[in-house]
Amino acid sequence: MTTEAHGGDIVRLIDIRKTYITGDLRVPVLKGINATVSRGEFVGFIGTSGSGKSTLLNILGMLDVPTAGEYFLEDVEVGQLSDVEQATIRNRKIGFIFQSFNLFAYLSVEQNIEVPMLYARIPGRIRRKRALELARRVGLGHRLGHRPTQLSGGECQRIAIARALSNQPAFILADEPTGNLDEKTSNEIMELFHELNREQGVTIVMVTHNPALGPHYDKIIRLRDGRIDDTPFEWEVRGTPK
Amino acid sequence: MIAMLAISEGAKRSALAQIEAMGIDRIIVFSKRPSLTGKSESSNSASMIERYGLTQRDRSHIERMDNVDQVIGLFDVRKKILKGLTRTNLKLIGCDINFLNESPAFLEKGRWFTPADFKNNVPVCVIGKNVRREMFELGDTNVVGEMLRVDDKVYRIIGIINNPYESQYPEIGGQNDMILIPQTTGRAFYKDYAFYREGRSSKIIRVEFDLFLVKVNDTAYIDNTAKRLSGYLEKTHGEIADWGMVVPFELLKQQEQTQNIFTIVMGSIAGISLIVGGIGIMNIMLASVFERRKEIGTRRALGAQKSDILLQFLIETVFLTSLGGVIGIAVGVGIARTITYYSGMPTVYSWWSIGLSLVISSLVGVIFGTYPAYQAAQQNPITVLRSE
Repeated sequence: MTTEAHGGDIVRLIDIRKTYITGDLRVPVLKGINATVSRGEFVGFIGTSGSGKSTLLNILGMLDVPTAGEYFLEDVEVGQLSDVEQATIRNRKIGFIFQSFNLFAYLSVEQNIEVPMLYARIPGRIRRKRALELARRVGLGHRLGHRPTQLSGGECQRIAIARALSNQPAFILADEPTGNLDEKTSNEIMELFHELNREQGVTIVMVTHNPALGPHYDKIIRLRDGRIDDTPFEWEVRGTPK
Repeated sequence: MIAMLAISEGAKRSALAQIEAMGIDRIIVFSKRPSLTGKSESSNSASMIERYGLTQRDRSHIERMDNVDQVIGLFDVRKKILKGLTRTNLKLIGCDINFLNESPAFLEKGRWFTPADFKNNVPVCVIGKNVRREMFELGDTNVVGEMLRVDDKVYRIIGIINNPYESQYPEIGGQNDMILIPQTTGRAFYKDYAFYREGRSSKIIRVEFDLFLVKVNDTAYIDNTAKRLSGYLEKTHGEIADWGMVVPFELLKQQEQTQNIFTIVMGSIAGISLIVGGIGIMNIMLASVFERRKEIGTRRALGAQKSDILLQFLIETVFLTSLGGVIGIAVGVGIARTITYYSGMPTVYSWWSIGLSLVISSLVGVIFGTYPAYQAAQQNPITVLRSE
């Protein structure tokens, strides 16, 4: 097992295992995951429910710690850090995007974008400037004063993306970002991800069960039963499903 | 709570003002008609003259006592004062020249007696403000210089006095109900005698003085002086209890104690309601933490420390309770004012009680907000993110 640094990789997972223990029952969920995400890559983790996808997402997002194995984030082993350090890294290095947007209904769009910067103790003037820039980048510069409840689902997800980018993270971790959107909006959001990836070189890690998103990714990592499976899905063999 | 404090404080102030108006540096000694029971009645009815109370001899003795500055004597002429045919509760009182100075009353109109009035037994009187109301027509505002007939004597009114505290003297009542005449005039006109009808028999009552205001030099020794004074009166007046004594200073102390108990009771009630309210707040915040667990998860995912979450919920609780405090103060002051407006009962809301309420209300927030905030911070981000 190698642990030495490897320049271009943002994320490196080495033999990640996670076993849930309930009483005498040991449920192995992740059974040794090895994967890397390079800078500027658009990676999709695809797996059915029960494949360990959510657990892997939690570990990638540093909300959970692996039972065994090593997780390098920009060449720093982050798997076993303390609560406070984990929160700080989550704040600076990871941009979360959720299936149900998770915007704060009582805050304005601008304030929503500013939340991660608030926790990074960035001064108000800079926060507001950056919030405006980000809102413009996702095409919603004119909506800063609105409440999330006044926006459509697609617009909400754009705001969530802006929020995820606000601390210029190492990578964006998106959990089924199109799960709550219709096909058209979902394509628009995926297009936005592509734009960010291509034009600004944002590294994106997307976790999904939806094989239809497969063609969007630079690299597909297939999860089956807690392991990485190199056999291509049926649709990959047959061509893009529609 | 503010209202309670204001009411109790107001009641305290007015009671204390009443007592203070009597003067804390004096002892009030008054004549009291001995109770007409048993032997004393038969012995009294034997003689036509009933004689009791404080005398000139008492007065000169008291004046010579230690720590006594001066003695002001009052005596009630015991004349029925009629307005037309109705009997009023006004009293014709012979007083010393220092009476005005040593009472809380002030001269509203006209003048007070001069030494010449005393020396020459001039038939002049100074009336209390209620006397004017009772004896004269409503429109008659300036009654100084007018004549006032009492029984068969006529007095010229030279002044009106007003005792704003409406304080009452034992046995002879309030200053505002008195028609005051110079003591010497009173003595010359009426001697010390008063006819008194009681059932079928009539009596002559002889009381030299009805009231002494004994002013002491040093309030610190007022207890001692009062003790010696009562000792002296017990000795000279024998077993007949024809006198009484009030020490406003003692009353003041007692009243303060009573009020303190009252305030403590009020405070405890307020305290209990604070605890009950605090527990209510705590429950609301716990419910709020449960309802917003997804928000908590999101915030944690976005990089909030546990301490950030703790602080957020704590501040929210303190804000909530402080807001409650501000509303409470507004309502309390409102209630106090309404009470004062409708009942005339004085209420006092001091700045310190308002400040204290603010501090306490935010303190309640801190105390009862800590547990919910701690609960919020301890939420596991994975599980709360999955919840809906």
